[in-house]
Amino acid sequence: MSEPSRDARPIPRGSKACRRLFGPVDSEQLSRDCDALMASCVQEACDRWNFDFVTETPLEGDFTWERVWGLGLPKLYLPSGPRGAQDNLGGGKRPSSSPARLQGDHVDLSLSCTLVPRSPEQPEGSPDGPSTSQGRKRRQTSMTDFYHSKRRLIFSKRRP
Amino acid sequence: MELLCCEMDRVRRAVPDGNLLYDDRVLQNLLTIEERYLPQCSYFKCVQKDIQPYMRRMVATWMLEVCEEQKCEEEVFPLAMNYLDRFLAGVPTPKTHLQLLGAVCMFLASKLKETIPLTAEKLCIYTDNSIKPQELLEWELVVLGKLKWNLAAVTPHDFIEPILRRLPQPSEKVPLIRKHAQTFIALCATDFKFAMYPPSMIATGSVGAAICGLQQDEEVSSLTGDALVELLAKITNTDVDCLKACQEQIEVVLLSSLQQFRQEQGDGSKSEDELDQASTPTDVRDIDL
Repeated sequence: MSEPSRDARPIPRGSKACRRLFGPVDSEQLSRDCDALMASCVQEACDRWNFDFVTETPLEGDFTWERVWGLGLPKLYLPSGPRGAQDNLGGGKRPSSSPARLQGDHVDLSLSCTLVPRSPEQPEGSPDGPSTSQGRKRRQTSMTDFYHSKRRLIFSKRRP
Repeated sequence: MELLCCEMDRVRRAVPDGNLLYDDRVLQNLLTIEERYLPQCSYFKCVQKDIQPYMRRMVATWMLEVCEEQKCEEEVFPLAMNYLDRFLAGVPTPKTHLQLLGAVCMFLASKLKETIPLTAEKLCIYTDNSIKPQELLEWELVVLGKLKWNLAAVTPHDFIEPILRRLPQPSEKVPLIRKHAQTFIALCATDFKFAMYPPSMIATGSVGAAICGLQQDEEVSSLTGDALVELLAKITNTDVDCLKACQEQIEVVLLSSLQQFRQEQGDGSKSEDELDQASTPTDVRDIDL
C-alpha cells in the first residue's frame, strides 16, 4: 500500500462523491452475510468436485480422487526447501493437521481426479444415439485435463 | 554518478499493437467469448427482492463519479458494472449492501486494469466511511468466489479500437470519435437496459452514435447514414436492425441524461446551450451524469 502523502490521486477536499447512498450499514449483518456467502462458495466447489477443500478429503461422487506422487512438474512448482518454507503459500489458513499433508517427497498438488460413470447400465449421454457398451472410458489424469477438454468443447461448439 | 529523478504524471502505456488490432482472429475471438460474461438473467424480476432499478442507477452514478474523480482508466467503470450485474444476477442482496458491493467491484476492476489501483482505504472514504477496509477485503473474496474468479470480462471498450481501425475515418478525427464513443459506453453502463446487450453491440452502437452526433457539426466521416450502419454491423457481425435500435436507444439515454442535467442546473441560459447540444453531444464528457 502506498503512503498516503505520496498519493498521486488524492480525494479532493469536500468531494461530492464521498457520500452514503442507502443509509447506515449494519456491520453485524454484513459479517453474517459474508460468512454465509463464503460458506456457499465452499459448498458449491465441494459439490462440483466432490471434494472437501477445507479438510482436503475426497467425497462420494462423479470423480474418483487419487493421490499422485509427482506430476512431472517443472522444478519451479516443486517444494525447494524444508517443508515449513512453502507453507506460507497457503496464507497460513490451512490447518496443520490437514489429512492432505503427506510425508516425504511430494508436491502439494498431490491429488488427481478421474470422472467415473454414475451407473454402468445407463446409456452413454451422447446425442448420436447408442454407442458401444465398452466405450465408456472417459479417464482424466488430472483436474487440468478436465478443464482443457471442457474448454475445447465450448470453443468448438461456438466457432462458426 | 548523477541520478536523475523525475516524477511522471501520466501513466506509461504500451503503444497500440497493430498485430492485435488488425488481426481478424482477435476480433472473432472476442465475439465468440463475449456472451460468457453477460449477467445470467434480468435480476430485478427473478433474483432481487430489495433492490430496485433506480438503486442500480444510484450506485452506478456514484461509481462513475468516483472513477472520474480518480481519473481511472476508461474500462474500469464498465468492467466494475459487469461484476456488479453478474453478482446481482446470482445473489439476492439487501440494498444496504449495494454501495459496498459497488466499491468492491471498482476495487477489483481497478486492480485488473490499472497500474496504480484504487486502494481499499480510499474507496471506504468515498462511501463516507460507512464501510471499513476490512469489510471491503472480506467481501472482495465473496465477490470473487461468486464470479468464479472470471474477472477478465469482455467489455465494450475491447471493441472500440478494432472497430475504429476498420472504418475509413480521417485519422485526425479518430481521437474525438473515440472519446465520444467511450462516453456513450459509460452512459450505457449506468442504464440497466443495456446490461444484457452483448458488449460488441454497445460498442458498435456507441461508435455509430458518436459519428452521427459529430457529423452534424463537422465532417468526421466519409461514410454516413445507412452505409455507415451497414459497415459497422458487418464489422461486429451484428444484425443491422438491432444495431439501429441500439443506437437509437443510446441517443435516447443521452437525451434524457442531458435533460436531467438541465433540471439539476436550473439555469436558463445554460439550458439553451445544452438543448442545442442534445443532438450533437460535443460536451457530454463535461456532464455530471
